[in-house]
Amino acid sequence: MTEQAMRPQFMGARVKRVEDPRLLTGQARYVDDIEVPGMLEVAFVRSPHAAAKILSMDLEAARHAPGVRAVWTFEDCPVMLWQRDTYEVGQPVLAHDEVRYVGEPIVAIIAENRYLAEDAAELVTIRYETKTPVLDMVDAIAESPRRVHPEAQNVFFHKVYASKGFDEAFNAAEHHLSETFRTTRQTAVTLEPRCTAAMLDPASGRMTIYASTQSPHRVRSDMCELLGWDENQIRVIVPEVGGGFGMKANTYPEDIIVVSAAQKLRKPVKWVSDRTESLLSDVHARDDIHEAEVAFNSDGKIVGFRDHLMADGGAYPAYPFSGAVGETSLASRVLTGPYDIPYIATTIDCTYSNKTPLGAYRGVWGPIASFVQEGLIDRVARALGKDPADIRRINMIRPDQFPYRNSAGMVYDQGSYGESMEEALKLVDYKEFRRRQDTLRHEGRYVGIGISVFVEPTAMASSEAGSVGYESVFIRIEPTGKVTAAFGLGPTGQGHETTMAQLIADQVGVNFEDVVILHGDTDSAPFGGGTGGSRSGPIGGGAALVAGREMRARLVKLAAHLLEAGEEDIELGAGKAWVAGVPDRAMTIKELAEVAYTHVKRIPEGLPIGLELVARYQPKRAVSFSNGTHIAEVEVDVLSGLIRVLNYVVVNDCGRLINPMIVEGQIQGGVAQGIGSAFLESLRYDEHGQLVTTSLMDYLLPEATEVPRITTRHLVTPSEGEGGIKGMGEGSLIGAPAALVNAVSDALAPFGAMVRQLPVLPNDVLDWVNA
Amino acid sequence: MKPGAFEYRKATTVKDAVAWLHSDLNSKILAGGQSLVPVMNFRLAHPSLLVDINEIAALHQITFNADTVTLGALVRHQEMAESTEVRDRLPLLAVTARHIGHWAIRNRGTLGGSLAHADPASEWPAVMVALEAQIQVEGPDGARTIPASEFYLGYYTTELAADEIVTAVTISRTRHRLGFAEVARRPGDFALAGSIVEDFGDGQGSVTWFGVAGKPERVVLALPEEESARARSFQSALGKLSQLDDDRHRQQLAVTVAERAFQHSRLTGHEYLTFEGGQV
Amino acid sequence: MATKTPIRLTINHESYDVEVEPRWLLSDVIRHQLGLIGTHVGCEQGVCGACTILVDGKPERSCLVFAVQAEGADITTVEGLSTDPQHLTALQESFRDHHALQCGYCTSGMLLTATALLKKEPHPTEDAIREALSGNVCRCTGYQFIVDAILAVANGSKEVQE
Ligand SMILES: Cc1cc2nc3c(=O)[nH]c(=O)nc-3n(C[C@H](O)[C@H](O)[C@H](O)COP(=O)(O)OP(=O)(O)OC[C@H]3O[C@@H](n4cnc5c(N)ncnc54)[C@H](O)[C@@H]3O)c2cc1C
Ligand code: FES
Ligand code: FES
Repeated sequence: MTEQAMRPQFMGARVKRVEDPRLLTGQARYVDDIEVPGMLEVAFVRSPHAAAKILSMDLEAARHAPGVRAVWTFEDCPVMLWQRDTYEVGQPVLAHDEVRYVGEPIVAIIAENRYLAEDAAELVTIRYETKTPVLDMVDAIAESPRRVHPEAQNVFFHKVYASKGFDEAFNAAEHHLSETFRTTRQTAVTLEPRCTAAMLDPASGRMTIYASTQSPHRVRSDMCELLGWDENQIRVIVPEVGGGFGMKANTYPEDIIVVSAAQKLRKPVKWVSDRTESLLSDVHARDDIHEAEVAFNSDGKIVGFRDHLMADGGAYPAYPFSGAVGETSLASRVLTGPYDIPYIATTIDCTYSNKTPLGAYRGVWGPIASFVQEGLIDRVARALGKDPADIRRINMIRPDQFPYRNSAGMVYDQGSYGESMEEALKLVDYKEFRRRQDTLRHEGRYVGIGISVFVEPTAMASSEAGSVGYESVFIRIEPTGKVTAAFGLGPTGQGHETTMAQLIADQVGVNFEDVVILHGDTDSAPFGGGTGGSRSGPIGGGAALVAGREMRARLVKLAAHLLEAGEEDIELGAGKAWVAGVPDRAMTIKELAEVAYTHVKRIPEGLPIGLELVARYQPKRAVSFSNGTHIAEVEVDVLSGLIRVLNYVVVNDCGRLINPMIVEGQIQGGVAQGIGSAFLESLRYDEHGQLVTTSLMDYLLPEATEVPRITTRHLVTPSEGEGGIKGMGEGSLIGAPAALVNAVSDALAPFGAMVRQLPVLPNDVLDWVNA
Repeated sequence: MKPGAFEYRKATTVKDAVAWLHSDLNSKILAGGQSLVPVMNFRLAHPSLLVDINEIAALHQITFNADTVTLGALVRHQEMAESTEVRDRLPLLAVTARHIGHWAIRNRGTLGGSLAHADPASEWPAVMVALEAQIQVEGPDGARTIPASEFYLGYYTTELAADEIVTAVTISRTRHRLGFAEVARRPGDFALAGSIVEDFGDGQGSVTWFGVAGKPERVVLALPEEESARARSFQSALGKLSQLDDDRHRQQLAVTVAERAFQHSRLTGHEYLTFEGGQV
Repeated sequence: MATKTPIRLTINHESYDVEVEPRWLLSDVIRHQLGLIGTHVGCEQGVCGACTILVDGKPERSCLVFAVQAEGADITTVEGLSTDPQHLTALQESFRDHHALQCGYCTSGMLLTATALLKKEPHPTEDAIREALSGNVCRCTGYQFIVDAILAVANGSKEVQE
């Protein structure tokens, strides 16, 4: 740490966000706010069937409808997502021979505006021959009722792992207990739907793409790969983005159509998803089954987990990464969570089905794995008649075990696992809760408490959104002494313009207000991996620190030369450089910049002209683990089946905090999504493969009345990486569902209930109570 | 999600509105638009003519008479929740209104629209059936009054002819204690089940449900003092509904909300003296 | 082919003359015809509240009203609060102080609903605030800081609530 700025002034402070004024005044521009004369809009005709052969299409009426400029089918844009070398199947951006899920785009109508495009879409007639849809993942794995893609097995990812000596140790344990856990499809539901606009720059012939994405460079690379453009011919601009949560880390068929149409029609083209399209075609998530088994001894010590992880990946692996693979493979590696469980054996099967492709949603594997892991722990406690907190204590990884290699081979850096739980128990006054619970039960009221201790792998060498393990910063001190730094990150509300400026201001020695952070433009930003997988803080922030430090070193050299002092005597701060102990011998950074850019003869030998550089940072560790504990108190109304969250506590450890206010915002938002995941949100398909939840009247999101006040405490176990920062974008949603449903199991213990499915719905409660 | 094209006309009299409706078989009344516009945005409805009735002043009135109150079709849900007269004299209506959608929906959605739309999970139709209200409608052949109990035929269907419009609802003096309860996933959602219970005070009463059957029906039943006996009474009343939802969870909830509505009718301060001078 | 009707809208005390098709949603006209892009659209189903505007001081969904219907009404959009970052309204300022926004997509609707609430009920309880906001979905913040921001204005203080 010694090389860091001496007195961080901004890192760790509750600095107000620089993004806010434009957002609060309605001046911020999102993709749909980009309007250019002559812009055309797209509407899609989507499959009404889960599985059908397309027999014929009649597009004549649509082609002649008012305002229609083009009606496209696959022939007009014959692009396949995925080359066959990765998976055996490719996804046509517009279905042509066959449709494989409800909502799959088939025809694109490009018209003067969306009203007219939708008018024409209604005039398209398509004849289908329906097929038996593949809807049940267990059947699908057994190739029943048929293959989704005749050319490929339904199981497109299969993996088996067992730690050494598993069978022997597992079988030798005193007790065994098994359970099938299920998660229902959910999706991110960003409040701003997906949208893309594209236009050719007539002067240069370059393509400008406005994308609502988490990863500007990823979009650029995908366009180059799929449409044959050169990187220097494409500019991706990401204006304001209204939420991402993993769902906007993919490239979608609609994006390809928009760019391709802008190219071929030589017109600006825009597509903005409506909410029904979003629910049908944004990647879904969390369609998993875990057939899990735990072996344990009478003293509460857990010997091992066995798990068959299955995920329904939908009709195609989402491009460019499959959520089904992401959810299962990482879950299998972190399933033991914060516990020292020496043996694990996992089998993974990811299958195709006639449903929407499965992609990422905040936490990806995490909420599922935590649900399984914490569910098993609570079952062990109940089986042994012990307190769930005690079972956790018995199995928790101890501080002296770090760095800890878990039974699946993942290495954990330092964390505060046990401490976070004890702190959280204190905050809820656990003993007092148990007394209250008892009293209330006698009055016929059912309250329960649920504990969830989680680990969150962050800053991974490669994550879903960033295919790279590093981040880059292009930093420049302007001739006026102000700082500009450009990132390849793709913030969707996390406040990077604030947090990155905090880090850089400290390093360079300027005021926070004097730093401007640029992002979301591939023309100005260095190549970067984007935002996702909780990487922006630790990797992006790390790069900011390195860039700031390198720039600082330059300034120190220049100042030492100009002030005629040794480099070690130069201090920097508040926009000035001075000689330690002699504050009068000083120059402002503006004056230094004047030398660097204008009076360049005064630059000492060995220093370049100007003040700009590119810095990159790749953490040494492949992954850094944040951790924490969530405790939820709920009341279950056993007559109506409704569940109310009474109290919620989070003790979180994400290493050094850049801006606690922003961290708390992330936590609160993630817990709210956890409440949705646990009690409200479910995408339901009927027996024909129709998605029946196609509006926000059916897909229920938590509202202000469902989310309680959340008490948050921070613990700080610095990472070994730059700044001691760990990631934290996903942990809150990783920990929350498990805490919430464990609280329900606890509340309904008198009925013998144990939640095995996410979300828990009122009817489930009624069934337990009636049983 | 953009609606198809239509012709738009603003009516200032009921007569004009009815005449326009009559002139085009594919026309529709536009009141608050809080049910119609979403359906049009989904392109599930394609009216060729929309007759906007919002500027028909007469339909906005709330009129209290000696023993009746007449509520105009365009009274907004939020007005019902906030009107001091309604709160004082028909508190059941104010309580009910607060359960409909969210604030922004209530500011625009109307009583008449809700009654005409006939969503089986919505509150107003059930309340009007429970209160034995009279629904006034007007068509090309003039006005007629339909008892709420006869107005509803089933899921989203009513006695109303395509060229008739709901103009008002009249509620007569009632003497009994009323209670209201509903269970919804989130506040503001349509009910999973809801109920209005009236306690005649002599061991008898009535129950009207919403959300559990194709249409609201008022059932007279015994209201014994003993809770489990009452539950049985609710259960058998439920069996009398002609279009009961066969979902057993719904049925269970129906009994739960009926009991809660009954308890609500008993709360002090919630004695529903529907009119000044009325008795408990 | 749809014919357009000229209408006059009064938004943020300014009048706008526009020609609209009867079917154009008020949200679309505000955004795309008048360029008042602070009003956002998240569902067009009446559920999310992103499009909330004030009509005669009361929150309404601009996605569930046709622009032709809005003639004669006094409409307020987020741009009617303050567009000057140096002179934000107390509520806007409080949202910033309390980190009541992340992606900002729900923010306009939240601000307008809260403005109307505080006008009607200057000192609402936390429950009343939550009830009033229940028709405005925020997917990012978990609502707590939004509630805090409104409470702080109601209490005439801008301190962080715990
Ligand atoms: C998010 C959301 C939540 C909601 N939650 C609830 C809820 O919990 N409970 C509930 O009851 N409702 C709820 N609603 C619906 C709302 O209450 C509507 O206001 C109501 O159902 C219809 O009234 P309206 O005035 O908006 O009618 P409109 O939408 O204008 O019309 C609805 C239908 O009735 C016809 N119509 C309207 N007025 C008349 C009339 N006077 N005579 C004849 N026909 C007429 C129209 O032609 C149309 O077919 C919700 C709506 C939304 C968007
Ligand atoms: S866009 Fe109007 S409520 Fe969602
Ligand atoms: S801040 Fe993103 S939806 Fe509210």
